[in-house]
Amino acid sequence: MGATPSVLVIGGGSTGCGIARDLSMRGLSVTLVEQGNLTHGTTGRMHGLLHSGGRYAVADQASAEECIQETRVLEDIASHCVEETGGLFVKRPEDSEEYFEQKLRGCEECGIPTEVLSGREARKREPYLAADVDKAIAVPDGAVDPFRLCVANAASAQNHGARIETHAEVTDLLVEAGEVVGAEVTHESGPGTRTHGKAGTTERIEADHVINATGAWAGRIGDMAGLDVNVRPSKGVMTVMNVRQVDTVINRCIPKGNADIVVPHETTCILGTTDEEVEDPEDYPEEEWEVDLMIDELSKLLPVLQEARTIRSYWGVRPLYEPPGEGTADSEDITRDFFLLDHADRDGLPGLTTIVGGKFTTYRMMAEDISDHVCDRLGVSASCRTAEVPLPGSRDERVLDDAMDEFGLTSPVARRSKQRLGDRASEVLDTDGPNPVICSCEGVTRAEVQDAIDQSGTDLNAVRIRTRASMGNCQGGFCTHAMAQELHPEYEPGQAEAALDELYQERWKGQRHGLWGEQLSQAMLSYALHATTMNRDHATRSAAGSRTASDADAGETVDFEAFDGGAPGGD
Amino acid sequence: MSDADSPHDPGVPDDEIPDDEFEPVDVFPESELDLRSGADDCYKCSTCDTNCPVAEVDDEFPGPKFQGPEQWRLKRKDDREIDPSIMDCSNCMRCDNACPSDVPLSQMHNEARAEYVDEQMSKLSVEYWRNRVLANYRKGAWLGSKFPRLTNALANNGPLRKLGEKLFGLTAEREFPAFATQTFREWWAERGGAQVQSEEKRVAYFHGCYANYNTPEVAKAMVRTFEQFGYEIVVPEQGCSGTPMFANGMLDDARRDAATNISSFSELIDEGYDVICSCTSCSMALRQEYPELFTFEGTADVAAHTYEALEYLRIHEDLRGALAGAEVDGDGEDLAYHAPCHARNQGLARQAVELFRDLDGVAVEDVGDSCSGISGTYGWKAEKYEKSMAIGEEMFEEMDEAEGRTGMTECPTCAMQMEHGTGYDIRHPLEILEAALVES
Repeated sequence: MGATPSVLVIGGGSTGCGIARDLSMRGLSVTLVEQGNLTHGTTGRMHGLLHSGGRYAVADQASAEECIQETRVLEDIASHCVEETGGLFVKRPEDSEEYFEQKLRGCEECGIPTEVLSGREARKREPYLAADVDKAIAVPDGAVDPFRLCVANAASAQNHGARIETHAEVTDLLVEAGEVVGAEVTHESGPGTRTHGKAGTTERIEADHVINATGAWAGRIGDMAGLDVNVRPSKGVMTVMNVRQVDTVINRCIPKGNADIVVPHETTCILGTTDEEVEDPEDYPEEEWEVDLMIDELSKLLPVLQEARTIRSYWGVRPLYEPPGEGTADSEDITRDFFLLDHADRDGLPGLTTIVGGKFTTYRMMAEDISDHVCDRLGVSASCRTAEVPLPGSRDERVLDDAMDEFGLTSPVARRSKQRLGDRASEVLDTDGPNPVICSCEGVTRAEVQDAIDQSGTDLNAVRIRTRASMGNCQGGFCTHAMAQELHPEYEPGQAEAALDELYQERWKGQRHGLWGEQLSQAMLSYALHATTMNRDHATRSAAGSRTASDADAGETVDFEAFDGGAPGGD
Repeated sequence: MSDADSPHDPGVPDDEIPDDEFEPVDVFPESELDLRSGADDCYKCSTCDTNCPVAEVDDEFPGPKFQGPEQWRLKRKDDREIDPSIMDCSNCMRCDNACPSDVPLSQMHNEARAEYVDEQMSKLSVEYWRNRVLANYRKGAWLGSKFPRLTNALANNGPLRKLGEKLFGLTAEREFPAFATQTFREWWAERGGAQVQSEEKRVAYFHGCYANYNTPEVAKAMVRTFEQFGYEIVVPEQGCSGTPMFANGMLDDARRDAATNISSFSELIDEGYDVICSCTSCSMALRQEYPELFTFEGTADVAAHTYEALEYLRIHEDLRGALAGAEVDGDGEDLAYHAPCHARNQGLARQAVELFRDLDGVAVEDVGDSCSGISGTYGWKAEKYEKSMAIGEEMFEEMDEAEGRTGMTECPTCAMQMEHGTGYDIRHPLEILEAALVES
């Protein structure tokens, strides 16, 4: 064993990335492996609410207190991931007055600042609120971009020497002499950033301690060492609106219920959610009634939603956990608290710790707890600094309005770039060549896409979560091919094409749940454009050779030489 | 931080106004509208961009799709900044007509431009005051028309014009339109107002500024033609329609004049009058921009009862029948007709051509669907002049190829541009109609 203790973190969600950052800042040698790209599991499928704690202030005050505390921390260390929108708990005439009072008292007890607004005052803040909303409690809820936050944590960990491997699935835990000593990992395209078309490899990664931070997948990792980790995955739907109807988080002030929150998220609003236990975190039905429920129920708070355009819906699974023997029937009633399972104490298997339950807002605190625990196990004495040291992108609050002028971007594109990149804006946007807008829905330029490609290789979904390119109203119809084009010449056309297919499929996966009205028109236009200009429906065979879906699957590349160079001198 | 000690008494009413009253959606302060939801209609097909005459001649201009739905969608409540390129939009509104999906493009542009002027343009800049003066043409015209001969002489004094360009950013390339020695309203008062009385056929004339101060012959043609058909005409108190104010982001000025116009005309509508305009941009403002931008009582009424003069007669009278036996004196005048963009948006682009097709004594040739490029005050700005002429080039060429050496259009500033680019005299369809139908 070397002088520096080593830790393997399994899972690249908020918790895993948070742990990787924390431990590497404490000087440990950290490797993080994630089966997809960062945020692939639950983190990338949340509603983006930064909890003030108001939602838990009645039923779970311990969680509420943690939330308000951690929200304050994130506003400091992750300012470029957080938008301080404020939130409202709104009461409709049929909602319980008693609960409203309980909510108010609960918030006070937990140290969550509140302000009671009349219906009229609430509508002054958010004019689309229903005319019959009685009153509201204002709380300091916020919006957070989980992708950006995770990526920033991973980047910070890397800056402190950590190794981050995405598309690296754990296929087995290594158990030697009654102790977990590492994991066997399959790299989809070898170690390092993902590269389409490159052969996979397997690797044995040994570590002094292994942390299972795989959330809803924690049971599967446990199984590999014969451990029973009873995660109860619970699915919830989120529906994404095309524009922001509100700039404040809107919660309905009721004890519990489906479809009770609207979160302004970047350019959109996200409606949420449901809570239904599922067997398998990767295979569960995505049903139309769930989407309908979001719109129907939340229209009672914001009637405009009934007419507004949705661009997609997605589902996430909560990694709910309760200790054996609790037997809570309704998944909605299972605690949102997190549990640290020390398998040495619990199962007599040292070398492995599992973290389950918990919620996004308190990821940092969870990471701190588990890092303390692991350091204790490894005999390391180093204290946590993640609450004080800002994340990359949030190190300098005074971002550079003047500097942004140099980059020749239109105002909204410059503004959005700055909001996304934080203090990295200058570094990323300062390029020599032309810097056209690649994704006009979200205002993402070539420089930002290139920066993301540098970080994540040919994985355009990883580029998407870093930049928001392809996340706007056309859902990639007008930009996915331009994003793929950015992979060339560093990568081959065939790789770019495979990456494009993958991104486009991912966009389609969510968009298919919004296909009525304007989004249906959008999808038809995108289809027609891709089919007629890029033959992406594989409808015609070119003279240069056959081009069918099955050929593409077989890896046959397009004969680009067969295309002419355009009419010479033509216009 | 915590205001836990503040009094929480949700039962106490905080104001007297009942909550169920109508509350318009004003998300942004000072009555600016939240038009983000308008972006819902956009599926980014870019037809607006391909129809934008400014984008065609100016590669730097990001185009109406960016100016409208994209810029609005990227906005958060606290975002105050509008891209300065909004000032390069000429407000021709062709994007409105081009859009297959009813995106409120010009409304988005008007709001964004007003916000830009309010928040980002220095009120001490020459540009601001130049634009303010252009937008409030009516005020200057009122003064100028007091001393029309002197004003006309000064306005077209070469050295003075050069000075105007240098100091005030008004192009020296154009000749100022002459003020009439007698305004339309003076003429109207002198003749004793309406000469026809009717209980059934009543129209209220919105003459606008140009027909009053510069081309009263157009207004007089309207009066004589409508009286010929038995209409009782009133010419009520009125301000500018607002078109040049929208185009320059001077929404407060526009709101002030719109208040006058809406109050004045909605009262008449209640008495059975319809509103008639002889300028297609004026009718456009009353019909489309007013309801998009203002919420005065009567706004919707005025919008619903406003018509362009020819359009109104074509609806209510047998104009074709009347013209069948008529003829215009002269030896077969050929007219090169340009349909103004704002007429096109109201579905009026072909009416003059169709109407005069069988009229003896004139032949009308449509010079195509390009934009004249002047867009009201746009082409008067020194820095926009070249762009304006580049846009107009296609129309100039078409006019040159047309048979006639006289032009025709409904829009006074399109007429200026046509004259400026070709040297032709420009007539208004109402003048032709008057010549054909009214005994002189």
